[in-house]
Amino acid sequence: MLLLALIGPYIAPFDPLAIDFRNRLVEPSWTHLLGTDGSGRDVLSRILYGAKLTILSTVTVIATVLFFGCILGIFSAFVGGTIDNFLMRIADVWLGFPPLILALGFAAALGSSLEAAILALIFSWWPTYARLSRMITVDILSKKFVASANALGVSTARKVTHYVLPNAFDILIIQVTLDISAVMLAISGLSFIGVGAQIPQPEWGAMIADGRSFTSKGWWVVTFPGLMIFITAMSFNIIGDMLRRELDPTLVTRH
Amino acid sequence: MPGAASATNASRDDAVLKLENVSIALSATRTTMVHSVSLSIDRGEIFGLAGESGSGKTLLMRTLFGLHDDAIIESGRMTFKGAEISSSGHRKRVRKLLGHEIGFVPQDPFSSLNPTMRIGKQIREALYLGKGISPKSGEAGKIALDLLDEVGISEPELAVDQFPDQFSGGMRQRIVIAIALSQEPSILVADEPTTALDAFTQRRIINLIIERSRTRNLTVILISHNLELLRQNVDRIAVMYGGQLFNILDSGEISEGAAHPYTVALFNCIPRKDMTLGDIRSIPGEPLSAGYGLTGCAFSKRCGLRQDVCDSSLIPVNSALARSFDACLVKAGRQA
Amino acid sequence: MRYVLERIAFSLFALFILIFITFLLSHVVPGDPAIAAAGPNAGAEKIQLIRERMGLDQPFHVQFLTYGSKVLAGDFGTSWFTHQPIADDIMRELPPSLELVVLAMLINLVISFPVGLIAARYHGSSFDNGVRVVAIAGAGLPIFWTAILLQQKVAADWQLFPVAGRLSFAYRDFEGATGFYLFDSLAQARLDVFLDLIMHMFLPALALSLLFTAVGVRITRTSMISEFRKDYVVMARAKGASEARIMFRHVFRNGATPSLTVFGMQFGWMLGATVLVEEIFGRPGIGRYAVKAVTQSDIHAVVGVVLVVGLVFVISNMAIDLILFAINPRKARED
Repeated sequence: MLLLALIGPYIAPFDPLAIDFRNRLVEPSWTHLLGTDGSGRDVLSRILYGAKLTILSTVTVIATVLFFGCILGIFSAFVGGTIDNFLMRIADVWLGFPPLILALGFAAALGSSLEAAILALIFSWWPTYARLSRMITVDILSKKFVASANALGVSTARKVTHYVLPNAFDILIIQVTLDISAVMLAISGLSFIGVGAQIPQPEWGAMIADGRSFTSKGWWVVTFPGLMIFITAMSFNIIGDMLRRELDPTLVTRH
Repeated sequence: MPGAASATNASRDDAVLKLENVSIALSATRTTMVHSVSLSIDRGEIFGLAGESGSGKTLLMRTLFGLHDDAIIESGRMTFKGAEISSSGHRKRVRKLLGHEIGFVPQDPFSSLNPTMRIGKQIREALYLGKGISPKSGEAGKIALDLLDEVGISEPELAVDQFPDQFSGGMRQRIVIAIALSQEPSILVADEPTTALDAFTQRRIINLIIERSRTRNLTVILISHNLELLRQNVDRIAVMYGGQLFNILDSGEISEGAAHPYTVALFNCIPRKDMTLGDIRSIPGEPLSAGYGLTGCAFSKRCGLRQDVCDSSLIPVNSALARSFDACLVKAGRQA
Repeated sequence: MRYVLERIAFSLFALFILIFITFLLSHVVPGDPAIAAAGPNAGAEKIQLIRERMGLDQPFHVQFLTYGSKVLAGDFGTSWFTHQPIADDIMRELPPSLELVVLAMLINLVISFPVGLIAARYHGSSFDNGVRVVAIAGAGLPIFWTAILLQQKVAADWQLFPVAGRLSFAYRDFEGATGFYLFDSLAQARLDVFLDLIMHMFLPALALSLLFTAVGVRITRTSMISEFRKDYVVMARAKGASEARIMFRHVFRNGATPSLTVFGMQFGWMLGATVLVEEIFGRPGIGRYAVKAVTQSDIHAVVGVVLVVGLVFVISNMAIDLILFAINPRKARED
């Protein structure tokens, strides 16, 4: 998938934004493998460019929440006490709110654009990682080897880089793979309702929104971008599930 | 051995449970986990089944009584109260006996009671399933109270309306036993019923089971890794290791040195911590079907009496259903 | 009792956070609201005047308190595009959405519980593996795409269900006291209207529920599998209980507890996801209202929706937790 996002633009046969009114809603054929949309743009090319857009936005969201969420979570775990309690209560509340509605609120406040949608999702997604990294850190800090490290006077920074992060890696990577599909669905959803990527942009959700008025005349305009979202999200779910079975010892089945 | 054969005849009429060359395999991989176990248990007998974790004792018992989903009886005959329970459809057949003829007490008292069902209801359910007494009837309620009183739960009237987590481990185990006893089975299988408990509570629970066995002629199979506990409380002990049945002997004989080398080793290590057999391989990690499990004695690698015959010959099996039995190849060779 | 108080306190705290977030959304994030409100041609004096009138010259915490007390009194401001009080708009749009979500939730529960339970009972079978794969795949479904496809295929092409709307044209004059037409139609003994409503709701509810059902099945299956491994199942079998009795009397109730918490959260998430389906199916509701408000840049209307959805979320979660507590006090506290 990442490969597709990287090379997609180079193998695309047409300009994703080139409008050609003589070739509107052409059925899938050898020239236009997946047909053209209501403005005569090649659907395959748009999907290929869209891969980059969709996946880059998703990665941006995940990378940012991973970074800030973990800082907050680890900080909270090390500080402990009332501050820890307070921060985690906020994260609890925040985590539960329907992410789509929260993102919609942020997007409305920031104005409609793909950047706003990304920012909005960052605002709604950070608690997952704050909670998770805090949980892992607390768990590791309670282990005996950390107690002996304390006795040796190991610095906090060193504890984070040498004890917490290596141990947190497995769990975080599982969460990341599982979240990629959720974030991607959210971004395309926001773009679909018009607060994310704006219509000429070849983002998959926006493409579906654009193709909606032609569903009866050109099923391919809506079907293929949606299929791409579905396949990509599903792949990450499957990878996440495989990783979880592989890395998470609590889920090992008895046999 | 003619002497052993006559002993078998004497016990046969009174046997509650007979196993003849029973082997257990995992249903998924068909890996044989327990090899050719033969034994006969008398009515009213308190029988001990000893072995470390992984020896196959729990697997054997759970499979025999239809409580293991992932294992099957691969070969051999199981006879319960004179009637054979055939291996085809074994689980279904034996399940019909559960709840009135056969009672079973699982290992962990903390999880063997349903956490969201009141104690009284769990006993009344057992009465309904085992004896057809309507759960709503006053009779069921009274029996439940009497039983709880009998197993030593103070204030049974309060207890019936409480949930399991309101009791300590020892009390929960007593409740579990009360549930099993309420169905008045002819045989009670207790799988490590006291492992999770302190010494004092252990004593009370074992006494409770023995007492019931004496007064109602109840047959008991007590499964435990603790040979000392068995030696003090049961009539006969069977010792398993690596899926093989090594030894059947009267509990009094253990300390007399007549036992199988493994039994001796197991017994000797009880008081001395430096001699634990923790490094002995247990079943799941070892491919027994390909290894010594089929040819030779599972214990040979760690046995002081080891000779070449231990790795090359099949160990003897107790086909004659003798009251006592020793599977040691070396000792058998000496006698011959 | 202590648990109940704590749980209520937590909900109040959640409400506070909610109001704070919406305050940030409406007052801080968009920049200076006075400039926006004054319009592009306003001079500095006019902006200053508006700022004073809107209370924006007040310190931050005073603004927040003013905002909070207004919100708590049910005053969300006036919508720029409907010219109605936002609270009235939302009260009108909420019932159809809640009806839709309740139906979607029913579909979710009716599928998740039996499928999860049976898959767990036959853990490792081909049925179980099939369920696992479908559940993982289903968690990648874009709701709006499923909605369009269902609408196009099942409604437009096969004509099994109406394509759009809440009620058929013939019933356009139907009115109910509560706004919950499903309830109103039954109260008026109008079974025809009730069935018409269901027919209109079915596809949108299905589209809305598929993604959540996939997650629901997965969660239920996982928690049921771990229940089947516990010794009380062995104990129940040893008592002679049938497999059906074990599944429904013993395992189901224990395994359902963790799933119920998830379903409680899903209720709020589904209400949020109505923004993706109501527009497509041309249904009135809070989701379509929110989308309209966003495209009209009506920040206060959007914030109103965020507040109300958040409130529903807080309440539904608290309700689930308190119900679980009532069923089994100890277990609820442990979870």
